[in-house]
Amino acid sequence: MRLVLGRFTHNALALLAVTTILFFMFRLMPGTPLAAFINENLNADQQQAMLEQFGLDKPMWQQYFIYLANLLQGEMGLSFFQRRPVMTILLEVLPNSVILTLTSLIIAYIFGVVAGAWLAWKRGTWIERAAVPAVLATRAAPEFWIGMVLLAVLSFNAGWFPSGGASSPGMAYSSNWDRIFSLDYVHHLALPVLTLALYLQGLPLLLMRSNMLEVMHEEFVTMARMKGLSEWRIVIGHAARNALLPVVTAFALGVGLSMGGNVVIETVFSWPGIGRLLVQAVSVHDYPLAQGAFLMIALVLALMNFVADLLYMVLDPRVSHGRKG
Amino acid sequence: MILEVDKLRIHYSTRDGVARAVDGASFTVPEGRIVGLVGESGCGKTTAVRAIMGVLAENGRQAGGRVVFKGQAMDEATTRKLRWRDIAYVPQSAMSSLDPVYTVGAQLVEVMTKRGNHSRASARARSVELFDLVGLNERRLADYPHQFSGGMRQRAAIAMALALEPSLLLADEPVTALDVIVQRQILDVLRSLQQRLHLSMVLVTHDISVVAYLCDEVVVMYAGQVVESGPVRDVLARPRHPYTMGLRNAFPDLLSDALELVPIAGSPPDLREPLSGCRFVPRCPFAQPACGIDAAMSGNGDHRSACRRDSEADTLRTAALDPRTWQRSSSFAMS
Amino acid sequence: MAERAEPVASTRSSWSLSPVLRRMVAMPLKDPFAFTGILIYVLFALVALFADQLAPIDPMEILFTKAGKLAANVPPGAEFPLGTTNLGRDIYAQLVYGTRSALAVGLSAAIIVSTVGTIVGLVAGYFGGATDAVLMRIADMALSLPFLPFVIVLTGFLGASTSNIVLAVALLLWPNSARVIRSQVLTLRERAYVEAARVTGASAWRILFVHIAPNILPLSFVYAAIAIGWAIITEASVSFLGFGDSGSVSWGMMLQDAFASQALSRGQYAWFVPPGICIVLIVVAGFFISRGYEEVFMPRLRGR
Repeated sequence: MRLVLGRFTHNALALLAVTTILFFMFRLMPGTPLAAFINENLNADQQQAMLEQFGLDKPMWQQYFIYLANLLQGEMGLSFFQRRPVMTILLEVLPNSVILTLTSLIIAYIFGVVAGAWLAWKRGTWIERAAVPAVLATRAAPEFWIGMVLLAVLSFNAGWFPSGGASSPGMAYSSNWDRIFSLDYVHHLALPVLTLALYLQGLPLLLMRSNMLEVMHEEFVTMARMKGLSEWRIVIGHAARNALLPVVTAFALGVGLSMGGNVVIETVFSWPGIGRLLVQAVSVHDYPLAQGAFLMIALVLALMNFVADLLYMVLDPRVSHGRKG
Repeated sequence: MILEVDKLRIHYSTRDGVARAVDGASFTVPEGRIVGLVGESGCGKTTAVRAIMGVLAENGRQAGGRVVFKGQAMDEATTRKLRWRDIAYVPQSAMSSLDPVYTVGAQLVEVMTKRGNHSRASARARSVELFDLVGLNERRLADYPHQFSGGMRQRAAIAMALALEPSLLLADEPVTALDVIVQRQILDVLRSLQQRLHLSMVLVTHDISVVAYLCDEVVVMYAGQVVESGPVRDVLARPRHPYTMGLRNAFPDLLSDALELVPIAGSPPDLREPLSGCRFVPRCPFAQPACGIDAAMSGNGDHRSACRRDSEADTLRTAALDPRTWQRSSSFAMS
Repeated sequence: MAERAEPVASTRSSWSLSPVLRRMVAMPLKDPFAFTGILIYVLFALVALFADQLAPIDPMEILFTKAGKLAANVPPGAEFPLGTTNLGRDIYAQLVYGTRSALAVGLSAAIIVSTVGTIVGLVAGYFGGATDAVLMRIADMALSLPFLPFVIVLTGFLGASTSNIVLAVALLLWPNSARVIRSQVLTLRERAYVEAARVTGASAWRILFVHIAPNILPLSFVYAAIAIGWAIITEASVSFLGFGDSGSVSWGMMLQDAFASQALSRGQYAWFVPPGICIVLIVVAGFFISRGYEEVFMPRLRGR
């Protein structure tokens, strides 16, 4: 329990540090945050009113604490451009990002774990010798480029998938959830998921493979063999069960990390998610929205780091069950 | 004889050539006795035992000889059938040989249900029995290996070995990782179990005092070969091979600790090099030109040794008691 | 005691320096992966060096056909090996010149990352205590920033320039190498020859840079090789998102250009496939080299 609390504090502090860095990064940028808005047509009073509206007339440290207090209540201000609360906009697109990330990760990790264990099993064969550099190449490819190639081949050329967006134009749904559970949505989701999964499978695959290779040399695996247990039981029940520990942790970390990486995938496929929102907000200098999107991504990252720590504790009895002596 | 090892050869292929880890070793284990397999590390003891269990490393293979268990020559199929049911193994480090992610109880139940005829319920009942047998509290069955102390883990490993009521136990340095007091306790557990269950046992160790404490017979191995064997009392009191004499000097004697400890200078030879004659020559204070030719095991009765100067054993033994003999050998060997 | 330890310490340091270096140079010859990696680096370095000779056409020049029409979207052929862009620019020339900016981005990021990472790792590991705690907390903080979003925000607001991208990458990547080097220093610190140097009264900095740093070198190299790849991918991603240096010719800009001008729907594979392959090759080369070095110098670190 103390461990859990410790990890929680650690991740919470990291998040606080990120929000602080972000606050000052945005405030200390060259030009006032409202530079994009304030034009010659506004008189001094109107400018002042605008600064007040966004709370920019107060001293920096005061702004910082107001900002923190607001954040804690989920209050992130108004988007400069959309003139709507940032939180509302974020919550609208968040499900799209979460669905994209989780679906791809689950596919990537199931494939990666199975293929990685299988490659470890096949160690020394030509299959393994050819597969390892090939997998490294998928890890080396820029995500968006994989997306571009798949888009050109499978969408524009073969016409199997739509070229972007999350739903076909002209479709009407009674609610957001209705839309998400529609076949049309899944059809739009398929190609981004395929791209992301292709990019993400390398990590669990290589991790699983090297863990398996290491575990297969552990004495308890030899011992299982001496006990005459079946090969299946040795590989799955003992070797894979142990090799899986770090992979499960990597999965949780992967959720946080790929939420950040989704920025490019969402842009390639015009997928209305948090990443694309961030890109758009930054390119039009919509500070509150960019800040909100960034914080949301950082929050997911910190949350997932914490989940990864918890998972590790739950899954590894050496951590969850203390020493008794 | 419950186990006969006959001219066993185990080769490892390494990047720098073939290592002959076991090079024509022969020994037997009589029913109901404890045989100590002793020698420095790298002499092939562990390899020999692992070969009997059929778990050589990937680059190892049996290059010759045979292992006979209860009159039946062992091949891959019989090994697979016999292991753990008839021949079980007690590892050096119980920590690394227990799976860290399962409780000790679960691992006991696993081997009994998967390899024995136990139902889960009867396996659980038998686990309690086994823990009792090795002196562990049954409540600890629900604990994970890392929650045990070193001595307790070793007891758990012994319980694991006894799960399917084997008739032969191969124990590979079962007490090496433990402190002296716990060593004694574990050896006592082994001895009492061996007597109560009428087990036969091979005890691999580099520590000749452990042999003296527990074993009935001893087999001394050097560089993959057996150099001396016989009843413990004979071999330790009147060693016939200079290597055994040296080993005895290198460990504290449990009976008389008057002797100064004298290590044998040098280390076992590189088994990748082709060797002929007695392998101990480079370190032997009594080596002669004639030692370049292989010596067969000879001797009267049970006590046998493979030394060209076997007839002079009594004289050599007296000289070997003098620490200066071994200093001379080391400087001689180095030059 | 001091008189006796002095020569021991000095022979040991000269002894420890040269074998590490020698093994660093000899390693690629033994490991086929690392050899391939070095080969790819050398190849790209040559292309960057001789870009002018390899591609005589200016990559930004707008080309016209003999009939005086804009040479837009010309398919690959004898005149233009990879065809032209929708604005009539030679794709092959862009690809060749893109090597220069890729190597510039990669190398400068690698140098900053490995220098900062090595120094922080050495100092934190050797001095320990409060210095260590502070440096590692800063590292934790940098690692908890989402990578690409941070780079985008930074370049988006500081201005789209290559140096800002390199800066952002360096800011986020140094902690990885610092952490691993720190743990390596922790073990090296306890070695006998370091102890001997300490007894002779060598200053802490001397011990750090003369006795410990040379043994850390292969690790710094591994992280530099990885940083090259990361920096190039990041530059490409940021350029693709439209925050790149519009004045430079880079593989990322090429991909952005191709994407924005509908090259995908026209099936102009020769435009957007080669830059991606170049990125894959150069990043994979980094992976291969780091793999080889890790296996030779720190087998225990594998899999981390």
